[in-house]
Amino acid sequence: MSSVNIQDLDNFNAFHEVWDETESCSGSLQGMTIAIKDNIVTKEGTTTCGSKMLKGYKSPFNATVVDRLICAGATLVGKTNCDEFAMGSSTEHCAWGPVLNPWDKTRVPGGSSGGSAVAVAARMCNAALGSDTGGSIRQPAALCGIVGFKPTYGTVSRYGLVAFASSLDQIGTFTQSVNDTAKIMHVIAGHDEFDSTSNPEPLPDFLGNLNTPIDNLRIGVPSQYRGDQNDPAINTAITAAIETYKNIGATIVDIDLPLTDVGVSTYYVLAPAEASSNLARYDGIRYGHRTSEKCKDLIELYAKSRAEGFGAEVKRRIMLGTYVLSSGYYDAYYNNALKIRRLICEEYKEAFSKCDVILGPTTPTVAFKIGEKTDPVSMYMNDVYTANTNIAGICGISIPCGFSEEHGTPLPIGLHLQAQWHDDVKLLRIAQMFESSTMFHKQSPECCS
Amino acid sequence: MNQIEPDSALSDDAVRHVAHLSRLALNNEEFAGAKKDLTAIFTHIDLLKSIDTSGVEPLDHPTELTNNTRDDTVGDSLTQEQVLANAPATKDVYFDVPKVLGGSA
Repeated sequence: MSSVNIQDLDNFNAFHEVWDETESCSGSLQGMTIAIKDNIVTKEGTTTCGSKMLKGYKSPFNATVVDRLICAGATLVGKTNCDEFAMGSSTEHCAWGPVLNPWDKTRVPGGSSGGSAVAVAARMCNAALGSDTGGSIRQPAALCGIVGFKPTYGTVSRYGLVAFASSLDQIGTFTQSVNDTAKIMHVIAGHDEFDSTSNPEPLPDFLGNLNTPIDNLRIGVPSQYRGDQNDPAINTAITAAIETYKNIGATIVDIDLPLTDVGVSTYYVLAPAEASSNLARYDGIRYGHRTSEKCKDLIELYAKSRAEGFGAEVKRRIMLGTYVLSSGYYDAYYNNALKIRRLICEEYKEAFSKCDVILGPTTPTVAFKIGEKTDPVSMYMNDVYTANTNIAGICGISIPCGFSEEHGTPLPIGLHLQAQWHDDVKLLRIAQMFESSTMFHKQSPECCS
Repeated sequence: MNQIEPDSALSDDAVRHVAHLSRLALNNEEFAGAKKDLTAIFTHIDLLKSIDTSGVEPLDHPTELTNNTRDDTVGDSLTQEQVLANAPATKDVYFDVPKVLGGSA
C-alpha cells in the first residue's frame, strides 16, 4: 500500500503525518502496513501527542515497539491523530482537528486513539498501535467496528510511549482480526530492559494455539454491565453474543462487580494525579512550546508557555491531578482512590475464581455526535466499562459484535472481554472463538469497503 | 467511612492556588471554566466516599515488581546536538532561558 493511497483515503483526519516507504527488515510482519499513534515516539517524522506543546517535536530515538515492528518487517505508514496527550474519549481534543468516524462522519470515532482506530476501520492500513490508559484503545475500536486489544500491564514495553498515567498506560493494537492482533503481539510483547515495569517473565506463544478453543469455557457476566444505562441495541447485541458463546459450548456464570460504578471516579483521581506529575516536564525550556511573551521570571515563563501550549482538557486534568495531590487533599482523594484500587483488584480476583473471562459491552452507547458531549463528566462516563481494566492492570479486548440501526446508518457495537493478569493469550483465543463464529469483523464502512 | 470533605463548590482562592501549583496562567474565561468544570468533576468523584476503605492498604501500582533494573553498563547516549535539537532557544551549546533570579518560586 503506498502512502499516496492513504492521503487520498484519509477523509477523516485520521493521520497527522503520512510517511513515504520506510526501511524495514524481513520478518513475520512483512507486507503488513501499520500506523503509529502520535504519542509513541519515532525517529521518522514528528511526535506531537496531538498538542501544540509538541508541534514539530522530533524524537531522537524510536520507542521499543517501533523498533520491534521495523525489525519484524512491518511497513510503518505514519502517525495518527489522538486526543491531546491521550486525554479524551472522542478525539475531538486534538490540536490538529477532530477525527471523524468513517461509519458516519458527523460522529466521533472514540478516543483517545481515534486516528489509529479510523486508519484501520477505513482500511487505510492493516493495523495500528495505540495506547490505552482507561479505554483509549478498546472504546474507539468498539465505536469504529474493529478489534482493539489492551494487554496486561507490563506485557508491552512503554519505553517511548509519552507518559500520561504511568501505572495505567499500556500500548496495544488495532486490527481487523484477532489473528492480526496475535501476529503483532507476538512481535511487540516481551520484556524490555528500558521499561522497569515490563514483565521479565517469558511470555507464552501468541500464535501457536490461537485457533484452539478453550475447553469448558466459563464466561462471567456481571449484572452491572447490563441495564438501562446502555443503548437498547447494545443490550440486544450482548445478549446475542452470549448466545453465540453458549452455542459453542461455553457456560455462562453470573458474577458481581459492584465497584463498576466507582471505577470512573477512581480513574479520574488516579490518572490526572499521575498526569499532573508526568506533564510537569513541559516547561518550555528543553523542548516544547515556549511563550514569546516577555516574562518577569522563570515561573511566569513556565505558566505562560504551558497555558499557551496545552488545550483545555489537558489543563483541566493537570489541575484536577494537582489538586488531589496537594497538601490537605492527598489522603482524602489520592490515597483513598489507591485503597479503592486494591478493592477493585480484589473484586476481579474473586470474579476470576468463577470464570475465565468477563463479558459485557465495551461502551454504554454507540458513537455519539461530534460536539454532543460538552461537559467533561458525561464524556468521562464513556470509560465506565473499560477504566477498571487499567486500574487493575488486567487485559481486555473489544471485538465487533453487531450494529445499531437506530440512527439511520449502521453504527458498530463492541463486545468487551476481560481476562486476568497474564492471561492475554487465553483472552485472544476466547475472542477468536467468537470471531470465527460471526461475520461482524468482515464489515467495513460504506466509504471504504 | 472516610473523612472526605467535599468541595462542592471550589472557591476562587482554591482554583487560583491549584492553577499556580499547576504552573498554568489562566485567563478570566479559562478561570471561570476551570472552576465550573472542577466543581462538577469533584461532585462526581465524591461517589468514592460511599466506599468503606477502612483497613485497606493503598495500591499504587498493578505489578508486584520491585527493583527491576538493568545492568549498570556504559552504553550509547544522545549527543549534545541531539539533546539541543528540539530546544525552543539555544545559545552556543546551552539552553537559552530568561533571567532566573528575581522572581518568586
